[in-house]
Parts: sequence; C-alpha cells; structure tokens
Amino acid sequence: MTSPKLKDVKGPWRYLAALGVVMAATLIAELLYRVLETTRLSMIFLAGVLVAAVWLGSGPAYVAAAAAFLIYNFYLVDPRFTLTFGSAEDVIVLAVFLIVAMLTGSLAGRVRDEARRAQDRARTTAALLEASRAFGASIGEEAVRERLATHLAEAAKGEAVIWDGSRALTHPAGVAPPADLIADVEAPADSVLTIAGGDWRARPLRAGDERLGVAAWRPLGPEAPEAEEASLMDVLVDLGAGALVRARLSEGQAEIQALARTEQLRNALLSSISHDLRTPLAAILASASSLKEFGGQFPPEVRDDLLATITEEAERLNLFVANLLDMTKLDGGALQVDSSPFSVREVIDRLTTRLTRRLGARRLVTQMGVGGLIARGDPVLLEQALSNVLENAIRFSPDGSEIAISVQGGASVRIEVTDAGPGVPEAELDLIFEKFYRAAHAAKHSQGTGLGLSIARGLTEAMGGAVNARPRADAPGLVVALRLPGEAAA
Amino acid sequence: MSGERLLLVDDEPQLIRALRPALGAAGYEVTTAESGQAALLQMAREPTDVVILDLGLPDLDGKEVIRRIREWSDVPILVLSARDLESEKIAALDLGADDFVNKPVGVGELLARIRAALRGRERRFASHAHLKSGELEINFASREVTLEGDDVRLTPREYDLVRTLARHAGRVVTHKQLIAAVWGPEANVDAQFVRVLVGQVRTKLEADSGSPKILLTEPGIGYRLRAED
Repeated sequence: MTSPKLKDVKGPWRYLAALGVVMAATLIAELLYRVLETTRLSMIFLAGVLVAAVWLGSGPAYVAAAAAFLIYNFYLVDPRFTLTFGSAEDVIVLAVFLIVAMLTGSLAGRVRDEARRAQDRARTTAALLEASRAFGASIGEEAVRERLATHLAEAAKGEAVIWDGSRALTHPAGVAPPADLIADVEAPADSVLTIAGGDWRARPLRAGDERLGVAAWRPLGPEAPEAEEASLMDVLVDLGAGALVRARLSEGQAEIQALARTEQLRNALLSSISHDLRTPLAAILASASSLKEFGGQFPPEVRDDLLATITEEAERLNLFVANLLDMTKLDGGALQVDSSPFSVREVIDRLTTRLTRRLGARRLVTQMGVGGLIARGDPVLLEQALSNVLENAIRFSPDGSEIAISVQGGASVRIEVTDAGPGVPEAELDLIFEKFYRAAHAAKHSQGTGLGLSIARGLTEAMGGAVNARPRADAPGLVVALRLPGEAAA
Repeated sequence: MSGERLLLVDDEPQLIRALRPALGAAGYEVTTAESGQAALLQMAREPTDVVILDLGLPDLDGKEVIRRIREWSDVPILVLSARDLESEKIAALDLGADDFVNKPVGVGELLARIRAALRGRERRFASHAHLKSGELEINFASREVTLEGDDVRLTPREYDLVRTLARHAGRVVTHKQLIAAVWGPEANVDAQFVRVLVGQVRTKLEADSGSPKILLTEPGIGYRLRAED
C-alpha cells in the first residue's frame, strides 16, 4: 500500500494535493474548451488522475478519479453544469478513470517502494562500510566497543549500550543500561532478544565460542527501524564482535612482542656481562700462560708488561664484579651507606693514582676549588661512583685528549668530569644513567656494559647526592656532574 | 717453520698486548689489527700466512671479514670466539674459517691450533699420502688404517669420515662439512647420523669410546681428529 514516507507531500495533504491536481486539470480543460470549443476533454482529466496516481499513490488517485469524474460530468458533459448518470458513456468514463487510478497508483507505489528499499539498502551498506572502516581504524578493544556503541546508536536512531562482562559503555554517554542486560550474555549467539518491556533489544557479542559481552540498543523517536534495519543492527553487532576479536589478537601479539623485547634485553645483558668478564680473563690467561711457556726467553720489560697486564686486568675484573654486586645491592636496597664527613680531595687523589695506567695517551687534569672540600657520605662509595664516571670518560675520549676533574666546595660539593668524547645527544642525556643504556654511537665501543653510569647515579643518590649530565660547552664532549651534601670544613 | 707472518685481529688492546710477546717468542712475525677494515687492508698490503680473528669486531662482523678474505685468499683463518656462541662459530667455519679457539685461551693451546692450521695449508700444497697421529696411522693411497700397527677394518662410510677428519687433523670439521664429505653435498642427512657414525668409528679406534682421545667432540659444532705428530 501507500508509503507513509512520500518525498514531498505527507498524510492528509496528499488528498488535498490530489484535489489540486484535478483543479489544475479542470483549469486546463476550461482553457482548451474556450480555445477549441470542444467538450471532448476527458483525456485532460484522465491525465490529471494519472499525475495524481504517479505522484501521490493509490488513495489520492481514487479521490482524484472520483473528483475528476464528478467535475468532468458536471462541467463538460452536456447538459453542462448538471450531474447526469444516464448515458453508458458516463459509466465508461468513470470506470476508465477508476481503473487508471488503481493500476497507476499501485504501479507507482511499487516503484516507489522499490526505490525506497534500494535507498535503505544503500544506507545499510554505507552504514556497515562506515562501521567496518571505523572498527578497522580502532586500536584496542575499548576503542572498538566505543565505535560499536556509536554506530549502533546511530543506526537505531536512539541509544546503545555495550556490556563487556564487567561494565557498560553507552552512547550517548550517561545512558542507563537496562537492568537485565547481564543475564543475556548467556543467550545463544544468533538470537536477538527483546528486554526491558520491549523497548530495548539486545544481541550477544560473540565470535566462535568466545563471549565478548552484549550489545543492546533502543530506538528513540517515532520511527521504529523496519525489518531491514533490524538485520543491519545484527550485522553491525557481529561486525563489532569480529573487530573485538581482532583487537584482542593484536593486543596479544603486542604482549608477545614486549616479551620478546625483554628477552632480547636479557640476552644483550648476558652477552654484555659475559664479554666484560671474558675480556680481562682472556688477557690474564694469555699473559700468565705466555709467562709460563716463554718466561725464560722474554726480556725483563716484556715480563713486567705481562705481569702488569695480569694485575690490571684482575683489578678490572674485580671492579666489574664489585659493580655487579653493587647493582644488585642498589636494586635490593641492601647497600650500607656510611654518612660521615670526608675529604673529597683525598678520594680524587687516590683515584687519579689508580687510574694512571688506564689513561694511556690521555691526560687527566684536576682543578680543586679552595677550602677543605669536605662532603658528607661514604668515601668508598664516592670513589667507586667517580671511578665509573672516569672509566666512561676514558673509554670515549680519544688518545691525546684531555679529561678534566673539577671540584667546588660549599653547602654542597660539586664534582664535574669533562671528557673529550663524541658527547651525547640532548635527548639521550637522561637515558645514559639508565641501566644497560648505551648511546647509539657507543655501540662501536664494544667495552662497557651500560652499568657504569647507572651505578654512579645509584651510589651518589644513596649518599643523598645527585648526578646529571650536560653537553660540553666549548667542544664536543660530555660533562657529568656529581653533587654531594657538603660539610663545613673542620 | 718460523718466520711465518701472523695477523692478529682483535679490538681489545690488552689481549693483543698479552698475546704478542708469546707469538713472537714462538717464532712468528706478528702484525695486529683492531678492526675488520684494518685487517683487510693489512692483508692486501703484506702477505699473511695465518689470521687469528676475533668475531666481535667494532666495524665489520667477523663473518663478513672471513667472507671477504675467502674471495681471494685461502690463508688459514683461526677464529677467536666466546664459548657460548656456537652458531657464530659454525657460520664462521662454514664460511671457510679453518678452526676456532675459545676465548679465553692459553698460549699453549693457541700455538697448537696455529700449527695445525699452518699444517693444513701445507697439506693443500703437498701430496700428503700418510698421516700419523699417536698410535693411529692412515695411508690415504692404500686406504689403510692401522692402530698400534694393527689393521682397523672400516666400512666405506666410516673410512670417508676418518679420512675427512684426518685431512683436517687438529682442526674442527663441522657437522655440515662431514655430511657433505661422507653422504655428498646434496644429501639431506641429520647431524644425528654423523653422531651414530662417529660412535661406530670410536668403538674401533678408541680404547674407551666413552672418553675419546683420538676422535674428539666439539660440542654443538662438529668433530676434531687429534693433531698430527
């Protein structure tokens, strides 16, 4: 039958419009009557009925047919301006008008219905396409649920709720979900349920055997979705369930990747530690076995050099092991920190003597500030922290360059180590104190575990101090500054 | 055999400092390089008789260095590598390295490996029909294997295995190389087959096949026949 949704004219107005069409036909007939002086103008009225039927549908078409017949009869059929129901011609005209109105009206109605259905289908397809695109672009389950709620609410021209098993997500925000929504999680996957007094409709979100929650929607306003729209909702919900599964899978994959990265880091750490343990061991074993096999043949200076290598490498090994232990102690919070006044000057003197051989062809310059330079803390820990900073400086400074230590006293004691290495990009300055971090350009310096600076920071902070790094102002290089609480000179 | 030129490639200066005197005292002329590029340059500049190569170099992957050397030279290459990097060692050997030495290493073992590597090169140039390693003797011409003077009867496959190891006496031969030599280069054979074959040979050659003294296992990599006398 006629559709409630005519494009231009609605409801009772259609009948008025039908009468309007007949009036127009009458006017044209009157004009032709005057010009051509003929009364055989039933075709004009028939055309009016046709127009009314095509434009307005069957009901108005009948009205138009009746009106056209009456006017035609009254106005044109002799005797004019009387209604006559005598001749067979009258009956035929009325019958033709009615038949045309009926046939055309229903044909036009069908065409209109088809057109509307095609439009609906196009709209459904567009809505699904839009939804699937939106799902595809959503990252994470939460985003997919939000999109699903939005699209369901739009398609239902109302509100929608997505229940994920523990909480409800609504569109628009703040909608109160129906009370018995949760119970429907257990319903079979392909069912659509009507809940909460027929207002809400719900469909479980499922993919295979997996239960992902429930989607519920309620149309608001006068126009309830028709059958095709109901199936649009079903497809939307299933599409959403598929997208949820995909999101869940990709989240799982991200987790696996994170795990793989952790594994990678651990392997890097292990190979780094084993390298740092093995390198001094290799030098010690090579030197010791050389002395054993060829000791007699070597000139004294070669023997001394091999013995020095053994001593130094053993010390390096010891330092590395101590660092590893410190790191675990720092991590476990078991580090014993002595807090008493001590002379920073003495610590640095001890350190520079110890590091002389490590310097090779580099120079170490110390600039001591005035005063006692007394800090509060643990001299052993400071020595270790500083030696890590200096080892790092030596490692990155080329032969022939200068490494500077400067110390300034006061309310706090500030020790700065300036190297002549390649420096560290601004963005990485904080990262160099992270455990196992090594700047990108440091990769080619195969020594170093990425532990030294993080131990320096850990030790300094354990004494109530602080460490930071900044680029060297006058040349490429890095300045690492340690600050410790000061103590008035005794 | 003294005066051979030896190129030591390692990026740890302290290791070079520790090894150099002993290698010199053993009669080698030692040059050193701290990077892969420097090593390739040095080889192009001067003839080299044996290369000792650390796989972990700062600039080039050690395997890449081997590949580039093998493009034009069959100089013996002895790989210095950490014990835990089996796959690296196998890759290096399959690329054409002659042998490997685990780090850390004593100079005694290192010198023995250098000697084995150099002998392998000699064998390539001389028609070496005979091998003697302790009580084991092999005559390649007559395919005779004797142990303390007594004939050892080997199946053709067992003999192929022993011959391949003997040709590389003192040096490691990977599973892959053994499979290619015994079953053919196209053979699709598992390393397990090699293990079984080695087990058979050991029952014939070793006094106690549970603790072999002649046919030694390099775990995860391959096998090594005790060096020639």
